[in-house]
Parts: sequence; C-alpha cells; structure tokens
Amino acid sequence: MNKLPQLFFGILAVFATSWLGLVVYPYVQLGRLQPERSAKTGTLTPAPLTSSAVAGERVFAANGCVYCHSQQVRPAWLSTDIEKGWGPRQTVARDYLNERPSFLGTMRTGPDLSNIGARQPNVRWHFEHLYEPGVVSPGSIMPSFRFLFVERPVGATPSPDAVAVRGPHQPRSGDEIVPTQDARDLVAYLLSLDRTQPLPEADGTDGAKVEKEAKP
Amino acid sequence: MSEGEPEPPEGEFRDLASPSEIDLPRVHGSILREHREPAEGLGRVPLWFALLMLGLTLWGALYLANRSGGFRADVFNPVAAPTPEGPGDPATLGQRVFLRNCMLCHQFDGRGVPGQYPPLAGSEWVLGEDGHTDQQIAAIVLHGAEGPFNVKGDVFSGAMAPWKALRDDEIAAVLTYVRSSWGNAAPPITAEFVARVREATKDRAEPWSEGELGDLPAPGAANAPANPVEH
Amino acid sequence: MNGGMPDVESRLERAEIDRSLRGPVLFFFASGVAWLLVGSVLGLLAAWKMVFPGLLDSADWLTFGRVRPAHLDIVIYGCASAVGMGVGIWLMARLCRVALRHRGLLVASGVVWNVGVAAGTVGILCGQSRSIEWLEFPGWATPILFLGYALVGAWGVIMFRYRRPGHVYVSQWYLLAAFLWFPWLYATANVLLIWQPVQGSVVGAVNWWYGHNVLGLWFTPIGLASAYYMIPKVLGRPVHSYYLAIIGFWALALFYSWNGMHHLIGGPFPAWMVSASVVASVMMFVPVIAVAINHHLTMRGHFHYLKWSPTLRFTVFGAMTYTAVSFQGSLMALPAVNNLTHFTDYTVGHAHLGLYGFFTMTMFGAMYYIVPRLVGWEWPSATMIRWHFWLAASGIALMFATLTLGGFVQGLELNDPQSAFMSSLAVAAPFRFVRGLSGILLMAAHLVFAVLFVMMLLRRGERREEATLLARVEDSATARTEPRPPAGGGITAV
Repeated sequence: MNKLPQLFFGILAVFATSWLGLVVYPYVQLGRLQPERSAKTGTLTPAPLTSSAVAGERVFAANGCVYCHSQQVRPAWLSTDIEKGWGPRQTVARDYLNERPSFLGTMRTGPDLSNIGARQPNVRWHFEHLYEPGVVSPGSIMPSFRFLFVERPVGATPSPDAVAVRGPHQPRSGDEIVPTQDARDLVAYLLSLDRTQPLPEADGTDGAKVEKEAKP
Repeated sequence: MSEGEPEPPEGEFRDLASPSEIDLPRVHGSILREHREPAEGLGRVPLWFALLMLGLTLWGALYLANRSGGFRADVFNPVAAPTPEGPGDPATLGQRVFLRNCMLCHQFDGRGVPGQYPPLAGSEWVLGEDGHTDQQIAAIVLHGAEGPFNVKGDVFSGAMAPWKALRDDEIAAVLTYVRSSWGNAAPPITAEFVARVREATKDRAEPWSEGELGDLPAPGAANAPANPVEH
Repeated sequence: MNGGMPDVESRLERAEIDRSLRGPVLFFFASGVAWLLVGSVLGLLAAWKMVFPGLLDSADWLTFGRVRPAHLDIVIYGCASAVGMGVGIWLMARLCRVALRHRGLLVASGVVWNVGVAAGTVGILCGQSRSIEWLEFPGWATPILFLGYALVGAWGVIMFRYRRPGHVYVSQWYLLAAFLWFPWLYATANVLLIWQPVQGSVVGAVNWWYGHNVLGLWFTPIGLASAYYMIPKVLGRPVHSYYLAIIGFWALALFYSWNGMHHLIGGPFPAWMVSASVVASVMMFVPVIAVAINHHLTMRGHFHYLKWSPTLRFTVFGAMTYTAVSFQGSLMALPAVNNLTHFTDYTVGHAHLGLYGFFTMTMFGAMYYIVPRLVGWEWPSATMIRWHFWLAASGIALMFATLTLGGFVQGLELNDPQSAFMSSLAVAAPFRFVRGLSGILLMAAHLVFAVLFVMMLLRRGERREEATLLARVEDSATARTEPRPPAGGGITAV
C-alpha cells in the first residue's frame, strides 16, 4: 500500500459506505415523515408545538437537560421501560418530528421525559420542581434552576403563578418568586412531551394492544 | 542520500540543507541515540485469528439477515414483543398507571410529601373511612383537586391535575391498586363505577375543593352512582 | 533493516525535520496542555456537582448542564485534538521524511483553532449550547474550528504526497486516513445538525454517527499511528506483522464507521440500523485483535523496558487499554448487555477509559518522546514523570472501576419495575463520590505534567546528556542477568 491514489480512494470509499448507510439512507427513509392524522378526530400525532414550547426547546438545549434526562421509551423485547411506566408504548421516529434537534439523550441520571407532559401536567409542580428539585423530589440530585425565576416585591395581590417556595432559598419577606419567560417556555415544552397517542408502527404492550389505525 | 538511492525529485517540501553544512555535535543527543525509523516485519497471520474472522463474519451475516426487519423504515423491533399477560391485567395495569402518573407527587410508597401532596397509605379518603365515599376518590382522579385538604390530621395545599384523559379501566385499576398497597385494604373499584361517576360529573370543568367533595351525594341516594361491591 | 544504528546522514535529516516542526508542534502541544488544565477543572466541577447538587448552583453559566458539555468539548477539541494534530504532523513529517515549510501558517491555524474552542466554550457557558453531544459549540463557532483544521489536514496530506520514495509505513496510512476523515465528519455533522437541521430522530442517527466516528476515525487512528511508531522505535525492533497491520487498518475503516447506532439501541430507529451497528461493533474484535497481536509480539521479551522508558510506559498502557476498552465496547453493543448498561454511569466509565486511558495516555507517551527532540533538552525530573504516570494511571483505573460498578448497580435498579426511580440515585451515590476522588488524582497528574512541560519549554533543571529514564539501568535485576545493551542504543534510545 504505497501509492497515494490507492490509499486515498480506499480510505474515502470505505468510509463512504457508512456515510451512505447511516446518514444518507436514513435521511431518505426517515427525513420526510409526516405526522399521523387520526381518522376519527382529525388530530395530528405528534401535535404541533405552541410557539412557547418551541422557545422552551431552546431553554432545554441551553441548560443541557438532555445530559441527565433521556426521551426514549424502549420496546418490551429489550427493556422494562414500558413496565416501569415511562410510557404506554415504545417511541418511534415520528414521535420526534416537531423537535429540532430531538433530545433523545443517553443518560438516566434523572427520569425519562418522553411522556412527562402526560405524567405530570401540573404547571405549578413544574415551577416548584425547577426552583427546588431536592425539596419537591426528595433524594434528587438535580441542580436548582432558580436563575430561571425572579424575586420581586409582591404587588397589591400575589401573582397567580408565584412559586410556592419550600426549602432553603426563601424570598425576603414582602417578596414573591415568579417565573421568567424562559421558565414558562421551558414548562410549556415539558408539557408538550406526550407520546401516549397510538401510532401504527409502534407496538404497545400495556395490556391493551395499541389500536392500529388504517393507513389512509 | 543513503544506500545508493536515486536523487529525490525537487518539490515544495524538500529543502534539506546539505549534510556538510550542519555541525554534527550541535545536533541534539536525542537524535543521535535514536534507532532507525520503524518498519514492519513479515509475521504470518495466526490460524486461530483467521478462523475467528471467519466465524464472526458468519455470525454477523446471520444476525443481519434475521434481525433487520426487512430493512424497512417502519419496522422498529427486530423481534416480536412478548405477548401481554391478558387484555388489561388489572393488577399490573394499576401499578403501571400509578408509576407513570401518580408516583411523581404521591411518591413510590404512597407516603406523599409533607404539606404538599397527601399520603395515600392509611388515608381515610382512600379507605372510605370517616364518611368518605368511593365516588369522591373517583371524582378526584377524574377532575383533580385544589385548595387545602385534610388528610390523616394534616393539611395539604398542593394542586392535583385532572386525569380524565385516562380510560375508565385505567382509573379503576389504579384506584384498586392504591386501595390494596402499603397496608391499605379496601374493596376494589370497577371500571363501570368509574364510568358512572364520569357521566354524573361530566359537566365539571374545575378541580374539586374539599368542601365541594363533601357535597357529593352519599351512596344509596337515587341519582348517585353506586359501587356494585358492597362494603 | 533494523537493529543496527542509522548512518549519520539520516540522523541529520531527522534533526532538520524536527527543527522545521518545532514551532507548530510545540504550539499545538502547549495549547493542548493549557486546555487540559481548563478541561480538568470543569470535569472536576461537573463530577462534584453530581455529589453536591448545591455546589455553585446560583449562577446560570455554572449549571451542570453547561459545565458538562463545556468539559467535553474542551477536552476533545481543545486538548485531545490539538495534541493529536501536533503528534500527527510530527509523525507524518518524520515518516515521509519531509521538512515542514510555511510553518507560520500552521501556527496561525493553531491560533484559529484555539480561538474557535474558546469562542465555542464561552458560547456554551452563556447558554447557546446545541445540546447535541460532541457538537455543542454554537453554529457561529464551528466554522472557526473548521478553518483552523483546514490547513493542518491539508499539510498532512500534502506531506504525504511529497514523501520521499520508499515503503509507506502503517502509521502513515492511519494518519492520512484521519486527516481525510475528520473534515468529512465535521462538515456532515455541522450541515445536517446545525446549519440545516434534519427532522426528528434522524438527528440522533447523524449525531452518534458523528460522535462515535470522531472517536474511532479521528482519535483512534492518531493513537494507533503513535503506538505503531513509538513501540518499535524505542525498542529498535520491527512491528511483528505487515499483514496483520493491513487487516487491522482496513477492518477499522470498514467496521468502526458503522458503530454509531449502538449508542441508541432500543431507540426510535428502524431495526436494520441498530442491527447493522450491533454487528459492526462486534466485528471490531477483528481490527482490535490484529493490532493487539502486533503490539504484543513486538513487545514480547522486552517488557522490562517499561521500567525505564516513559514513552513506552505511557504508550503501552494506552495500547493495552485500547484492547480492553474495545472488547468492552463490543460486548456493550449486544442488546442483552446494553439493556443493563444503557443510560447508566457504566457508559461514562467506558467513554473515559477510551478517551483517557487509551488516547490521552498514548499522547502523553508521544509527547515524552517528541518534546526533547524539539526543544533540545531532556526531561528535568524522572521523579516527576513517575508521579505523573502513577497519578494518571491510578486516577483512570479508579474512575473506570467505580463508574463500572456503580453503573452496573444503577442499571439493575433502573430496570426493576418494582423499584422506585430514586433508588437508582441512592445506589449510585457512593460510586459517584469515589469518581469525584479519582478526578482529583487526574487533576494532580495534569498539574505535574504541565509543570514538566513548562520546564522543558524554558529549559529548566539540570542539563542532561542522556535520556531521562524512570529507573537506573544498573539497579535493575534484568540488567544483571542480561548483557548491557550497547551504548547509544538499546534502552537509552528513548
């Protein structure tokens, strides 16, 4: 192997097989998928995101939530994810159509978030949890995101979304803690995470088999 | 330059000074003590290694042939999922629903969070004691709860979201699970009962307050849904 | 061909080549060492934040989710890539027997590279991370890195084009390949993930095709090229088998690049993609064993040299770790094993064993060989080299052991449907504490090396005429039973 053209061609050609196989071909196979439209109700799965949730994706990315939280429900032949309650069915490619980028994640230092919008739809819980995770979830090692909140004096009446703070970081007397727009957007994004609606290509094993709607 | 090789061609990267211009003692000692640049010997490929390569290739080909779902884009599982225990086995279903949805607030062992989320273990609401009824807990799960609640002598002021999106059999299964876990022992709730409560409260849009739940008709009243299983 | 000492002209040629490489290679090394210190501090901070979540948690720029990617990107781009480029250029120049021209341009590339890394890091800490693993730098910083790389890669390929006629050595194949693969990887990832993002889960596929290939087709070839050079060079023996070297190279090129999806087993991808990666990951036994046989049979009978040569000690540690971590990786790709290890600290242990235990230790070995030839000075303290080695080796061994065991028990808890999620945190906690301690060992190792490196640049310490060896040859039991090697060769040829 002494010649540059021989080596050059070999090096690039062999590598091209994986580029074609793991990048180009999946892009063709999966890159133009469309959401599923329910024949009965006309709703889309996945549902489109509100603008606040789209902004919340940026907050999610900026603060590196994905380094502790995955967003994939693995199938029953491989794992106990469904039994554990992360979701009623495995997640498939179309579940991530609305996210750019999709935050699949590779760690479960914290719980999987694929269906957190369905499992915990309470907005106040999310604000309280972001502010002081160790108090709302005893044993948690999630850091506090109180920099996503502001402390300000209480007006004539307390704000409707003032955070009920428990734990060491109490506001000064006469002050309240309110979420910033970033915190609201982040929670809007978290509440959009709901992959419980059936999709024909996803097997569910939650007792009742996922309905396989007829393809249009 | 060495061993009678022909003169190398001129090119951009060949501007070595002639050896006689370099003062040998000033060349660093580390270069002087080096061996020659490395080269490869001609050792043979061991037989066991050749057999290993062959074996792995065969294994790989078989694996790919059997576990690629026909190289289709909509086949996500190379093997079939195990068949479920039966249509909606209630015990497992109830636990699964609890782990998915309730555990975040009421905690894994049903003890809740002091001041915030009430315990379910030993709770008079769950057990149907102190005048609490089955339809109260079914209604709470369907429509949520807000405001201060008295449970086991303590006051809790967290809010609970509505879970009417869950199916009747899921709500019944999780209530039954809660009623039979952590030392609780109370009769199960059926899916038909949950359906009747859902129908009776179908116009409810807000979460319940504690007082409103007290006004729900007691079992036995004409228009009240009744749990077919007697206490 | 080997065994005898080279003649005067080829030594002079090598001196001239080294002289031409001095500025750029030392600049890349210095950048790498500086970023190593910064990256180690951030890594230590991230590790201790997982033990004490309240540590420095009021500032947004220090939140774990920003510190952790900053640590990753600094160590892979700022440190590992910079040192890798320095070693790669030096090896290519030496083996092609061409001196480096226009070295000012290469130093300028290094400056641009550093600017890119610094800008990207500031971007991450300021909240512009993309949260795409291995590619977190914001979109405005990545073109700077690409520009900084362009000249380095071009120089590597051009040096190969204008090499002296003669046999092309195995290290040159690996280096040529690395210099060609990296820009293709980086460009594809940036286009499809940052500038024109693809939709949905395809992001995951491209992300991990990129991330795993930076490890396997950029760092691994440079590390192997260095090991293939340093081991036979220091020993004065040929590498065992040209044929195994060929198998190792082409099998690496073919199989490694298909591994990416093993990071996403069970994920939202068609079965064929995951199965292809599982097969490719197991096929990696082929190139890894080929390289292991080659290195082992080259070293066989000469393991006592590890007592004396810093280069060999670090390089052989790295090469052996390469075998071990690759075997572990092939097994982790099997779905039955992956079920347990996925999403746990087990993966973190594997990643650090590969990037630190293999690549970084091999690069340390290369620097111990190269730096004296560039600065014209010998390492000032064998004691400090020993401290560096033992702190680094024990640090990475402890980190690997604690994360592997901790990840294993964490995985058992995560997979148990009867177990609360929080119990996985409780069982992992003591192992994460010990991991924090291992980070302190590594930090200390890096401080020792940084001091040594600066002393070399400034030519501090006593002047030595012989190589800095880690033990006196006369004291070793082997020296008493074997004849002394000839002066000017043998174990002093380090």
